[in-house]
Amino acid sequence: MNNFLNRVFNTEFLPMSEVRKIKITVVMVFLLFLTAVTIPFSIFLNYSTVFKIIAISAMSLVFLLMVFLIRWNKLLIAIHLTIIYSIFLTLFYTLGSTNLYAYLFFYITLVIIIFYQEIYVYILYGFLVVLFGSFYTFVNQDGLSLPSDIFGSTYLFLFFLILFFIIFLIQILLNEKFYTELNYEWVRMNHVLDKYQDHILIYLNTIRKSMKESPFYEDLDFQKAADELAVFIYEQFAENGKEITNVLDLYIYIHERGLDKILSNDEFSVSTKKIANRLSKYMLDQRTEMFSMIVNFHTKFKATAEYKENRYLYNVESFSENSDERIIALGLLYMFLSNEVFGLDEWDEMKRKMTKEEVLAVFSSEDAESFFSSAEIGFLKDNFELFEAFLGKQSD
Amino acid sequence: MARKKAFIFSEIEDYRTELEIKHLRTKNHFVLGFLLLMMILTIVYLVLSGQTLVDSIPVVIAFLAVLIMNITHLAYGRITPSFYQMNKYVTTVGTFFLSILMIFTFRSPSMVISLFIAYSIAAFYQDMKVLFLSNTFMLLTVFAIIVNNPEILGLASATLDARVGIGFFFIAFMVILSISSYIIVKQKSFFFNQIASAKESEFRQLDLLIELKEKLKEENLPSETYFSHLEAFTEAFCKKIGSANVFKEKIAVLRDLDKGISEEDLLVKYPTLTKTDLSRMEDLLMSGHHKLRKAAMKIMYDQNIHIKKREIFSETQFKSFNHQSDRLEIKIIAFVLFYTALKKGFAVLPGLEEEKIYDALIHSDFYYSMDPRIVRIYQKNSAVFDEIVKDAFKKKVRR
Repeated sequence: MNNFLNRVFNTEFLPMSEVRKIKITVVMVFLLFLTAVTIPFSIFLNYSTVFKIIAISAMSLVFLLMVFLIRWNKLLIAIHLTIIYSIFLTLFYTLGSTNLYAYLFFYITLVIIIFYQEIYVYILYGFLVVLFGSFYTFVNQDGLSLPSDIFGSTYLFLFFLILFFIIFLIQILLNEKFYTELNYEWVRMNHVLDKYQDHILIYLNTIRKSMKESPFYEDLDFQKAADELAVFIYEQFAENGKEITNVLDLYIYIHERGLDKILSNDEFSVSTKKIANRLSKYMLDQRTEMFSMIVNFHTKFKATAEYKENRYLYNVESFSENSDERIIALGLLYMFLSNEVFGLDEWDEMKRKMTKEEVLAVFSSEDAESFFSSAEIGFLKDNFELFEAFLGKQSD
Repeated sequence: MARKKAFIFSEIEDYRTELEIKHLRTKNHFVLGFLLLMMILTIVYLVLSGQTLVDSIPVVIAFLAVLIMNITHLAYGRITPSFYQMNKYVTTVGTFFLSILMIFTFRSPSMVISLFIAYSIAAFYQDMKVLFLSNTFMLLTVFAIIVNNPEILGLASATLDARVGIGFFFIAFMVILSISSYIIVKQKSFFFNQIASAKESEFRQLDLLIELKEKLKEENLPSETYFSHLEAFTEAFCKKIGSANVFKEKIAVLRDLDKGISEEDLLVKYPTLTKTDLSRMEDLLMSGHHKLRKAAMKIMYDQNIHIKKREIFSETQFKSFNHQSDRLEIKIIAFVLFYTALKKGFAVLPGLEEEKIYDALIHSDFYYSMDPRIVRIYQKNSAVFDEIVKDAFKKKVRR
């Protein structure tokens, strides 16, 4: 319980699938509570006792099914089922009572659907709820309004329900747009970071070799430490640590043989291949998730420049408001791109430089506006012969 | 309950706020649109239903007041973004005030439902403090109606189930909407955190790349080559447009900055320049860890990035040692390898001390990248972990 609450309070650090699971669990707790309240409340609803027993038993069964769906990680089906369950609860109340509290159920169900923030789910189920809510409002005008109510009170009930649906529809659409944009930016950033880390790995390996250090997976001390730690942790869960040692051996073996050879070797069982595949994202000799996290962690302890407002801005405009300084920046950038090392050459050495065409492509690509204003690109085009003559490729 | 974790990079807080304000601007415009629409529809209703002027005028004035306050805050927000923040609270209070005014003016159950509309408009901001304000208003208003004005909902002569049901289901609505809004707000923060962290990672990884390149003495053009070519370029450009060379002094300043001449001496040498000018111009150097060099490197690495549609919202983007699809054994292996690698160090990355690792793993958001069961074992036994590694390496760890 404590663990679950901790996860709820720290949702902003969890990936989508985790959050989805939390959402379903929260909705289920809420529905369980509502169902428990419904049992005594059903006394006031206009159904036969037999029907009430059947309905509540059916709800309990469906609830149980939802619990299993979460256990089996069938989250999408569980989402639909929780919504259908809440719609059924709404029907149970609204068909059994003409009171205002039954009408409130339309809003409660809409909120449950809103909670998931899935646009198609909201349009489909939300529309159904609003449709039925409108029908209910017209049929039960007397139950909802007072005998001497204001003009058009039935229409106000209807209007508010539709408006509530529309406001949240717009909110979900806007969120969808925001999240897609943010996600796109995040994915793009991850791609750039991957490229940095590709080169960081190459450089680190070059330095390691010059220091005559063996790679992690060949270092017996490293293996010993990892083995003892793994066994120590594993023994908190299981009786002996033999199984974890086997997994670690497999991990080392992947480094020695390569993942492809293990996957294509018929002598390995399917489950071993599956484990090998899962372990591959943690390999230490490639730019993997493991390497990325190690580098990221280490950079935390490296000295860095003091925070300035323009810390994360790399466009020329962010350097200065003065046009002469921007021209200087543009010139220096052009010279850097034309002359500095760009990546691996055909001999797998870090010596490749950008060609003239590649440099030009930087300024004419779709993403050029992330770094240069149209005025700066225009300036470069107008004076290209000067850029090329003075700042272009220098003879080696 | 565990205390709130700090961000692994403390620098990202400001950038997160910047991202938040950027999105808040759009939300404010939508809320303004809703309020305007609500006001028009309310006026239409007041006219059609033939309400008295005594009832109608206060409602219209209240709408106008909320709208004017909203527009004023939006206008000032362009200059000072904190007005955008303030607008959230002012508008939330305003919409609830409008709703309460209509409830007590028209005294109809249908008007009580306008509280849901006020709640939904406030929920648009996706903000914790706004959520708290909304809940307080909603709770107090419903309480005031049920206890002091039950005739508004017709509860005075209502059956027991109606009296209990209305209060109960209002609260149920609030509870689920509050939890929902809370998690949605947190979900939004997830992306802000990730983007801000990625920006800081980029900044620091560019530093690391520069450090590695320098360590390997990768052949770079010397600063002087940059300056001499830049001088020739600007000379030719000024000749082309027929003007005097206005770049000369700036390039001379850059040269001096690159040589490491002190700020005081430079201010004496170039009396027209200020400290701010020098700080800004320092960013234009291509040497060391200066910003222009980082920008140049980023531009290089930023080329030819192709994002596939399926990558967006893909879980694989989230780097962690706690992937749901991984078995416990794999999560353990990932954690111990990570820990041991940090302790051992790698080429120029030195082995890290236990205190540093412990602090970052347990007290920063990095905590959520690991399986909570495993990290708890580490938390309780960090001294044992440290001893195991020290023993295995026999003090061969580099510092």
